[in-house]
Amino acid sequence: MSYRAIAERLDRGQVVLLDGGIGTEILRRNVTWADHQLADRPDFVRDIHADYIRAGADVISTNSFQLCQRAFFNHFRDEAHRRHIGARDLESRADELLTASVRLAQEARDRVAPPRPVAVAAAVTTLEWCFRPDLAPTVENARSEYERIFRTVKAAGADLVLLETINSVTEARAALEQANDAGLPCWISFVCDDRGLLFTGESFAHAVSTLEPLGVGAILLNCAPPDDITAGLNQLSPHARIPIGAYAHVGRFDPPEWMFTDEYPPAKYLEVATTWHSIGARILGGCCGTTPEHIAALDPLHMN
Amino acid sequence: MYKQVLSSLERKRPILLDGAMGTELVRRGVRWHKHGLLTDAPAVRELHAEYLTAGADVIRTNTFQLNPRIYLNVFRNSEHMRHIGAPGLHELAERLLRISVQLAREAMIRTRRDGSAVIAGVLSPLEHCFRPDMAPPADVARREHQAQAQVFAEEKVDLLLLDGMNTIREAKAALKAGLAVGLPVWVGFVLGPEGDLLSREPLLDAVVEIEREGADAVFFTAAPPADIAKALRRMKGSCSLPCGGLAQIGRFSPPSWKFEFFPQFIDTDEWPAERYASEAYRWREDGASLLGGGFGTSPQHIAALRAKLDHDDRSPGR
Repeated sequence: MSYRAIAERLDRGQVVLLDGGIGTEILRRNVTWADHQLADRPDFVRDIHADYIRAGADVISTNSFQLCQRAFFNHFRDEAHRRHIGARDLESRADELLTASVRLAQEARDRVAPPRPVAVAAAVTTLEWCFRPDLAPTVENARSEYERIFRTVKAAGADLVLLETINSVTEARAALEQANDAGLPCWISFVCDDRGLLFTGESFAHAVSTLEPLGVGAILLNCAPPDDITAGLNQLSPHARIPIGAYAHVGRFDPPEWMFTDEYPPAKYLEVATTWHSIGARILGGCCGTTPEHIAALDPLHMN
Repeated sequence: MYKQVLSSLERKRPILLDGAMGTELVRRGVRWHKHGLLTDAPAVRELHAEYLTAGADVIRTNTFQLNPRIYLNVFRNSEHMRHIGAPGLHELAERLLRISVQLAREAMIRTRRDGSAVIAGVLSPLEHCFRPDMAPPADVARREHQAQAQVFAEEKVDLLLLDGMNTIREAKAALKAGLAVGLPVWVGFVLGPEGDLLSREPLLDAVVEIEREGADAVFFTAAPPADIAKALRRMKGSCSLPCGGLAQIGRFSPPSWKFEFFPQFIDTDEWPAERYASEAYRWREDGASLLGGGFGTSPQHIAALRAKLDHDDRSPGR
């Protein structure tokens, strides 16, 4: 229901606002981000979603970056080792946390009760580390793992899937086909380098020609500095007939946390987002390091 | 002081190591970034001091699974790290290693144990300690371990302790690196659920190889107490090196967002200090002279073990 309203906005050429960083916002509010805090600090996560809705986001994304069974299993040699020394709930922990992540976003929407439709996007990332396409699983494994993730978030009531920080067309395609099977609208957002190419070296022309016929709802760019996002949009825009979008990170990755900088305060972020809009981006938001103030600053484009 | 420790070990007298650093710091609420060495230095120093007060003869630097790769691995490559990473990441691991030794040394001075305890610089697998499949080739491992060992040598640690090694290949590479910079080396192997190395390489092969390469001691770690006991029993009679055990207690509970090793163990209360001390004390019957605590243990565990050893009144350096 909420998704249809969002899609109609895009059909009319209007801007759809995403939210900003969640993991980094948790850090900025002085809580550790080794865990997603979905189980330990649900109020805290819900409040961040609510702040983004109040800031004007039409689509809020769940706090589920890189949250999947593989992320837990990778810490063990194999199943025998995991069963021997691992916590007993690791088989089901990802499913439970994903479900909780959707519920918290929905509860935030119910609580704020905004006058406009707001959709909950299940944020799903690459199965291995987002900046490391060399680690990507086989297509067969990717399919079965995405199938499980999408089944879980669909059952939890997510309105769409936002595949974020995707680094290869191959994994994007495997995920998109599973989202289609699950009956979930799917937007795909790629990380790009300063030349505007995917981390595999693949081009956006290739991404579009592969994914558009399969019914992707939108193609976006994220998790790169604003200038790189601009470069990527210039590559993407000439090829895409579907809606396109962008959300850059602001600051510096200081693993496992984030270094906040004042390079892109909200007013300056609006300037660069205005550039993206002029290139054709209609879905705009913020990635790591952006805050509800950054999203609120995009209001002039939103009203456009 | 190291000579005294070694001669005790060679005479089969018990030497007490500390317990866990990482899991105990996380349990105490330290936010685990940069191993707490920058943001929570007082907590790190305090924990070292507690282990020394509890009676540890050897304390380990808080550097388990700390090396340049843990930062580099989360970027596309080195250029990407420079492009979007925080300033100083390329040099961060070395900087943290130096700080870790300083904190251990400050704890020794504060507890007046300098002269009666030694500092072991901890090196560990370059990739995840539970992923032997990811261990780098020998030449790469040698080069990277030697760069870290060199830092520890410059900071004047008393020995190098290879903690949680999961393959013979990488253990040998790191051992050679340590010896090359002039440090004595102890090697700790992670046990797999089958009772051999986590890599499934036979325990005996591992012990024989590192003895031949010049290690001063060997111990088994990162497995439940019963597994440590079993490994020691199997090695009894076939290992002429001083050997020992540091068992984990509780269960490994990785966080939902972190890709390198994260020291979080739950359900550790199944092994209160007294129970652990009684169990570890029994390892002496199987020839163990190096005792301490692995993941999940705390200063209470070490204090309880100290009390048992002191009851024998055969411990040196006290």
